[in-house]
Amino acid sequence: MAKKVLNVEDDPDIRTFVTTVLEENGYIPIMAKDGEEGAKKVKEEKPDLIILDILMPRESGIKMYHELKTDPSLKGIPVVMLSAVSKRTFLRSQAALTEFGDETVPEPEAYLEKPVEADDLAEIIRKILG
Amino acid sequence: MKITTMLFVSEFEELWFDALQSLMGLRKAGLDHVVFLHVIQREKVAMRRGTGYLKQEERKLREIADIRFIDWAETLFEEGMEVGAHITIGNVVPKILSVAEIENVDLIVTARMRRGKLEELFAGSKTSDLLRRTVKPVLIYNYMSQSGKVGENPFERLLLALDWSESSEKVLDFVLALQGAVKRVEIMHVLSDKEIGKLSKMEAHKVERENKKRLDEVCDVFAKERFDVRPHLYIGDTEHQIERGASEHRATMIVVGTKRGSIWQEKWSRSVSRALADSSDLPLLVIPAEVK
Repeated sequence: MAKKVLNVEDDPDIRTFVTTVLEENGYIPIMAKDGEEGAKKVKEEKPDLIILDILMPRESGIKMYHELKTDPSLKGIPVVMLSAVSKRTFLRSQAALTEFGDETVPEPEAYLEKPVEADDLAEIIRKILG
Repeated sequence: MKITTMLFVSEFEELWFDALQSLMGLRKAGLDHVVFLHVIQREKVAMRRGTGYLKQEERKLREIADIRFIDWAETLFEEGMEVGAHITIGNVVPKILSVAEIENVDLIVTARMRRGKLEELFAGSKTSDLLRRTVKPVLIYNYMSQSGKVGENPFERLLLALDWSESSEKVLDFVLALQGAVKRVEIMHVLSDKEIGKLSKMEAHKVERENKKRLDEVCDVFAKERFDVRPHLYIGDTEHQIERGASEHRATMIVVGTKRGSIWQEKWSRSVSRALADSSDLPLLVIPAEVK
């Protein structure tokens, strides 16, 4: 059975790009346009992988990632970060959240800085989902 | 009435990252979420004869805004703050109202927004329009020097102009919740010289004494909450005296209440808050009477 991949992204052009890559590689794409909708769809759909943007309306990918990785029922879902925000900032922000008393979280399975090539994205997904 | 989420509206030419950073003292009062909004004016990408809708221009403007916001967001994320961004096309005031509602913000920060001279004559400035239509507190941020450099935290020394109305009550509640972010508060009331002029000397003294008493009572409330606070009673034209008081006491921001009115009320009797919004050199915080 084809695996489900949730893409949380506010930019419609990038959502279309990721959908195309996923469909061409035999995955089922699920889309969410901000962190709040993303968090809801994770619980409803229980995807096999999440591709997550950072700077979005309503809830950022930074907050959503932290919530995912501190929720015992969701923390096993692999996450690929796909954002124009640098990896260094992402790691620092997670560390800053820890300073405010939150739980420490692991690094994501992959971190891709935009723009990304379709082949690179597909390869990363294949590596994680097998 | 705490400020945890702030909407920062930037057209980039008027409001820069240093303005945002100067507001970070609000973190001491609970601020932990900043939402950026950039509205691309419809005229910039609208249909033109022979060229149609300027899709390429829209892409370029979105990209410019996105790059700016990512740069700003990186700094805030690294400080452990939550950041969101909206880049949209349309009329600025309705977009601000809509995003403020979606994100449930506690404060809207914007530069003074103007229209063309003729349009302003009939419809007022965009800032007036926003103040008339929103129920959220609005900070109209003005750079305090000609060089465009931000001098200090605008929340450091506040001048609260009170008229003893329902909106003044909201001003007091709002500022009392900012304890930690505010260093000093000047509480001010302006008596109308026209009204005082109609009274006998005895009656005038009585009005003066009553208002001083009310100012002292308000100061006591602030002092109890450990604010450094002082009362001031002025006489004259309200708008002018507020600006004078702010200057004399070296305030970094003026705080006033406001009540929503129709565009026609606005046209015939401009409220003090909207007059200050269009003229004050200092940042101005406007608290609507309808704020929740």
